[in-house]
Amino acid sequence: MAVKNLSAVLHAKLDLRLENRDVPAIGEEDVLIRMGPVGICGSDIKYWTHGYCSGVFVLRAPMVLGHEGAGTVVQTGSKVGNLKVGDRVAIEPGVPCLRCRICREGRYNLCPRMQFCATPPVHGNLTRLFKHPAAFCHRLPESVDLEHGALVEPLAVAIHACNRGGVKAGSLVLVCGAGPVGLLCMWVAKCAGALGVVVTDIDDQRLAFAKEKGADYVINVRGVEEPIAAQQIISAAGCSPDVTIECSGSDYSMTLGIHATHPGGSVVQVGRGTQIPSIPLTLAATKEVDIKGVFRYANCYPTAISLISSGQLPGLKSLISHHFPLAETEMAFKTALSRDAGAIKIIIECDQ
Amino acid sequence: MTDINLTAVLFEQNDLRMEDCPIPSPGPGQVLLEMKEVGICGSDVHYWTHGRIGDFVLNAPMVLGHEASAVVSKLGEGVTSLKIGDRVAIEPGVPCRKCNYCKIGRYNLCLDMKFCATPPYDGNLARFYVHDADFCFKLPDHVSFEEGALLEPLSVAVHATNRAGVKLGNTVLVCGAGPIGLVNILTAKAKGAAFVCVTDLDASRLDMAKKLGADFTVQVTSRDPLVTVQAIEEALGDKADIAIECSGAAPSLKTAIYATKSGGVVVLVGLGQEMVEMPVVNAGVREVDIRGIFRYVNCYPTALAMIASGKVNVKPLVTHRFKLEESIKAFEAAKRGEGIKIMISCERKKL
Repeated sequence: MAVKNLSAVLHAKLDLRLENRDVPAIGEEDVLIRMGPVGICGSDIKYWTHGYCSGVFVLRAPMVLGHEGAGTVVQTGSKVGNLKVGDRVAIEPGVPCLRCRICREGRYNLCPRMQFCATPPVHGNLTRLFKHPAAFCHRLPESVDLEHGALVEPLAVAIHACNRGGVKAGSLVLVCGAGPVGLLCMWVAKCAGALGVVVTDIDDQRLAFAKEKGADYVINVRGVEEPIAAQQIISAAGCSPDVTIECSGSDYSMTLGIHATHPGGSVVQVGRGTQIPSIPLTLAATKEVDIKGVFRYANCYPTAISLISSGQLPGLKSLISHHFPLAETEMAFKTALSRDAGAIKIIIECDQ
Repeated sequence: MTDINLTAVLFEQNDLRMEDCPIPSPGPGQVLLEMKEVGICGSDVHYWTHGRIGDFVLNAPMVLGHEASAVVSKLGEGVTSLKIGDRVAIEPGVPCRKCNYCKIGRYNLCLDMKFCATPPYDGNLARFYVHDADFCFKLPDHVSFEEGALLEPLSVAVHATNRAGVKLGNTVLVCGAGPIGLVNILTAKAKGAAFVCVTDLDASRLDMAKKLGADFTVQVTSRDPLVTVQAIEEALGDKADIAIECSGAAPSLKTAIYATKSGGVVVLVGLGQEMVEMPVVNAGVREVDIRGIFRYVNCYPTALAMIASGKVNVKPLVTHRFKLEESIKAFEAAKRGEGIKIMISCERKKL
């Protein structure tokens, strides 16, 4: 009988099952990882509640969820040179082809043949034992524990967003949305030398947490028209933001960013709103406020790990609000969905 | 001697021989290529005459040649990007694809790079050669095999002008009018540079530079770089925005720095002495950035587009032609400094 490899498998919308799967056989360039902590992402929740995500990715067959994972290497393929058994790694979930033009130009996040954990049809890592190419497993230094390792993935999103926006020393940054991604963008902006970060949201509890965790100004924009909210931001901060990072998934915040951002600045869209939103594009154009999309990240894991290991993100783990063992994955997902639970980042422990 | 796969093999310094070798087999992701045209590069000649270039040392016999075009003759397992009969230009360096340099888009800096005719990796001056399919670029029907082989030096110029930031309206100084200087003239103009000034010791090389688009030429007649700088500034009316140094000569490097505007860029393409005297304070306080290049990266598509669109004509660069059987004569001509680009035709001529 095959060794048990308990995994959280999404069969269809709202049909999440714990199943034993085969232990994967590794290829010469792969490693086998005993999974530790895996964080839940909004996209995992979306697949669970809707069966699709971002309009284009649709669940058509059972798929293991989870992509924000870290674990310990238990087996290495014959050609693996960068890792050995016992190494703890943060797993970069997206494996591009590395042969096409866009990969060769360094923007492998845009590879058309990307295989990304828990984006159909590729299995994720909410499982006991997981196989992955060694080139996309990043060794964690001694000072960085596995729980931090699981946070590297959303941290990479924030790093990529700040890079795309051109956040640098002296920037004033507006972050729309105080969920985990917004909080991470706030911290990364500060690491990059931003002079201040303004955070907006429609939830006072989330704003209070953001303030406690380093936001210079927080503004509740529920019911406030965008041009007025923009004025409130500029008055509070004393000047207009150079970069807006939209992390709320609302069209409102895209518009708010266009109004608030200083001419010549950028609005970075991390959140996903409607497919074809109505936004003041002409205003953006006349201000030369560039609108820049973000799709996951590329070449951000090393930066993320080095930010953590150099102690620049001391509050990172405060994002984690709940832990669940693998067998209680469904409860974890329900908790993530419930506003009452006040969840920020939920971690599922795959070795429990 | 049989001729199954006639190959130009450098056994050791000064010992270049034509050998027959077996026809290699393409592995997964690779193609077997029937070689068509291979140009000779200064580095091929240097390995022959010196047995090394810097830290790259010839320790075992090595096939020469890396500026090449061919026809796909067999497909390895899994190859879908090419089919048998496709005419291709070969980008000679295959990186590991998965290290950090590769992943950030700077695969030319990959520490595990396998580059044709850089020891210990064989080149492609042969009848047949195997290469990774994704580093073979299909040529449109109207682009010749010789042009395909010239994509390699042209890519050096694409990378140099990229690193220099050559853009619309710039004035560009190109130091050295050998083949590399010439492709840099063509590329700078293709990128919209307004005026290109070229320096060289040799008047006939400067004539060719003029034919290929140089607006001004300055013949170097003095050992004092400042004399050359003055002539450049008289021609251009000012210092240049950018200088691309293609000779490797120390006085030329000084000229390039002094003749570049504050805030400009000097790109080092030519390779001379490891240690040179350089006016580093002059460059520093005027924020003249000095940037080296190593081969090229993600440049073959651009080079091909420049040729295929007719924007750049590299055909005049080929001045000598030899057959593969005559490779040693070809190398001897190259060593004597004859012509601009010597092309070797590798197709076995039918009787």
